[in-house]
Amino acid sequence: MVDSRRPPLEPRLGQRSSPVLELRSISVPGREHPRLAEVSLRVEAGERVALLGASGAGKSTLLAVANGLLKPQQGEVLWSGEARARRQRALRRQQARIGTLWQDLRLIEELSVQQNLNSGRLASWGWPRALLNLLLPLESEACAQALRQVDLDPQLLQQPVGELSGGQRQRVAIGRLLRQQAQLLLADEPLASLDPRLAKDLLQLLLEQATAPRALLLSLHRPDLLEGFDRVIGLRQGRISFDRPVQALTSGELEALYAGLPQPAAR
Amino acid sequence: MKPAAPLLPLLPALVLVPVLLLLPSQVHGGGWDLIGQFLLAALQPSTDPVVLESLLRGLGITAGMALLGWFCSLLIGIVAGLASSRLLWRTLIGHAWPAETLRRLLAIPRSIHELIWGLLLLQVVGLQPAIAVIAIAIPYGALVARVVSDLLDTLPDANLQALRAAGSPAPAALLTAMGPPLLPGLISYGGYRLECALRSATLLGVFGLGGLGNELLLTLQSLEFRELWSGLWLLLAVMLSLEALIGALRRRWGMPARFSLRSAGVGQRGRELVLALLILVPVVLGVGRALAIDPAAVLHWQALPPIAPGGWSEALALPWPALMLNTVLLTLLAAALAVGVAPLLLLLVAPWPWAQRLLQLVWAIGRLWPPPLTALLLLFALKPGLITAALALGFHNLGILGRLLLEGSEAAASGPQQALRCAGTGARLALLYGRFSALARSYLAYGAYRADVILRETVVVGLVAGTGLGSQLNESLSAFAFDQLLLLLLAYAVLTLLGEDLSDRARHRLLQR
Repeated sequence: MVDSRRPPLEPRLGQRSSPVLELRSISVPGREHPRLAEVSLRVEAGERVALLGASGAGKSTLLAVANGLLKPQQGEVLWSGEARARRQRALRRQQARIGTLWQDLRLIEELSVQQNLNSGRLASWGWPRALLNLLLPLESEACAQALRQVDLDPQLLQQPVGELSGGQRQRVAIGRLLRQQAQLLLADEPLASLDPRLAKDLLQLLLEQATAPRALLLSLHRPDLLEGFDRVIGLRQGRISFDRPVQALTSGELEALYAGLPQPAAR
Repeated sequence: MKPAAPLLPLLPALVLVPVLLLLPSQVHGGGWDLIGQFLLAALQPSTDPVVLESLLRGLGITAGMALLGWFCSLLIGIVAGLASSRLLWRTLIGHAWPAETLRRLLAIPRSIHELIWGLLLLQVVGLQPAIAVIAIAIPYGALVARVVSDLLDTLPDANLQALRAAGSPAPAALLTAMGPPLLPGLISYGGYRLECALRSATLLGVFGLGGLGNELLLTLQSLEFRELWSGLWLLLAVMLSLEALIGALRRRWGMPARFSLRSAGVGQRGRELVLALLILVPVVLGVGRALAIDPAAVLHWQALPPIAPGGWSEALALPWPALMLNTVLLTLLAAALAVGVAPLLLLLVAPWPWAQRLLQLVWAIGRLWPPPLTALLLLFALKPGLITAALALGFHNLGILGRLLLEGSEAAASGPQQALRCAGTGARLALLYGRFSALARSYLAYGAYRADVILRETVVVGLVAGTGLGSQLNESLSAFAFDQLLLLLLAYAVLTLLGEDLSDRARHRLLQR
């Protein structure tokens, strides 16, 4: 649970530093319409950006481009001002600074919480440490700290991930991002399958982690959860419909974003 | 300190340490140029039409023997499997003791390798085409029987109880409630046995029972490596085509994979399946005619030579503890090499897709290349003994386990591996953490089953590489010492039944957690 004594998060508009993520005219072809068409955006350090759009609007594709999983056919991706590297080793170094919270979490069920948290460090560890972590989980104090940051009891460290509740698993996945020390946090509809209370708690936790030099880009299905974000970007059929501060978003823009498309099922 | 799941499949690879330390002492100095010639010849196989014609004829005989042996083993296995099902007897007469008795009896033919059956039949009825077919059909039939009865006894029986409670007669209720769920597993396993039968038929040929195996042995012994490779490439083409066909049919008909990690709906396109089975019958009859199989000729037994006076005491004086210990050691070494090296190699080549394809080719050659021929090849450079035999047997089983691991790895959820790759983790560590975690226990469980098979196969390399019970068996067969032979078969049966029990327990423990 989130500590209720913490001060509420205020949107931090106007803070500008080097962009943690920059997409320039990104296009990804699709069957009926392009999955992404000429998409350009910047995410600055300390910024918290929500990505809105109906199913199939291109949110997941955009995030896949942003985390390097998908190489766009056209356009350029820049991470902290660096273009996507061609050499595998350099690309891995760039990706090590990007943390993704997947909708299905992608935790390793057979490993303990500590080993899962440490899997966020694999990019910077060599073989000996990675193997040793499978024999004798390493860096207990740092892992305990990561658990505290996501409001989990450090006693869970030795527990197999498969034995955790849904909410605990979500938090472990965020803890793994913290262990990774990622600069750019990406989240692909992390709240989609959660009950309203858990969704709010988790969102609060993610927003809290996105302080400079980190930045957060999170795709959402529900416009009612936009509180606490600095900016909101609307995607429709692979194109950006709007990109503006959350307060400036109008209900007309929201309606237009989903107009003519099947409405999401009521939860 | 307890190793986590991803490390478990790699632990058996620790056996490489003693093997590599001992290997230099096994090298006898000469023969490396021959091994070099052998490897080079892979790129220049003979295209002489006479050679190719002879090889193709041999391949046809091998494929025919495999098909007939496999078909007979399915017939025997299904009947014996149903008859040894506890559920069936409990439903029919209320007791399971006939099933228990039959299961124990079937353990004996199962425990004896098809090569021993082949060599025994050769002594008893003389050389004829039916021998290889029967040699495959007996142990394979007993294996299929065990799988059928296990499948049947572990299926949920709620539907059967419901039908019985509604007054259905026992046979009709069994057929209706248990037949459809039994079929997918049975067909899937049956397809896999056909691949095994092709390997066994090649092996039997190496020991003089006809077909391509015989041609391969002759070309190896006469150092005609280019001709040898022509045969190997042909066999590889047939085996890979067969594996691809069986895999495609398994997917098309919605049959479960051997490494059942993916839960998909089972049983589709029933008419196509029935049609395929109907076509199989005339094909089998045609192949039988083409191979001039005469079932009546098998009934004409030759009289065995009498046992020499004092034979039994000589047989009892054999160094039994050493023979059995060597056989067990050979099994453990070969199993550890096969089980542990497959994931190790997969990790090594993980960053390079081309190397993975090359590895798949080497594994395919390992699967089809009979272990005695590998042993003979290794003898060009190594001394006969435990290490040579273990390397030969390990290479063959590495081909089988490697393919299975790769299939399982491709079928396992890719999410965790992809997540690690997106976070900048290298290809090897992402594979180790992201995929091996989910695969580890089922892979090791299959490894335990494979160790049980390897124990049976020790006879095959023992005959060539001079170690364990297999080596003694060769000597006793050559000396027509049937008293020794009988005791050796008994020793093999005891060892393999014990091995089967241990492997069952290991699998149960691995899969239970």
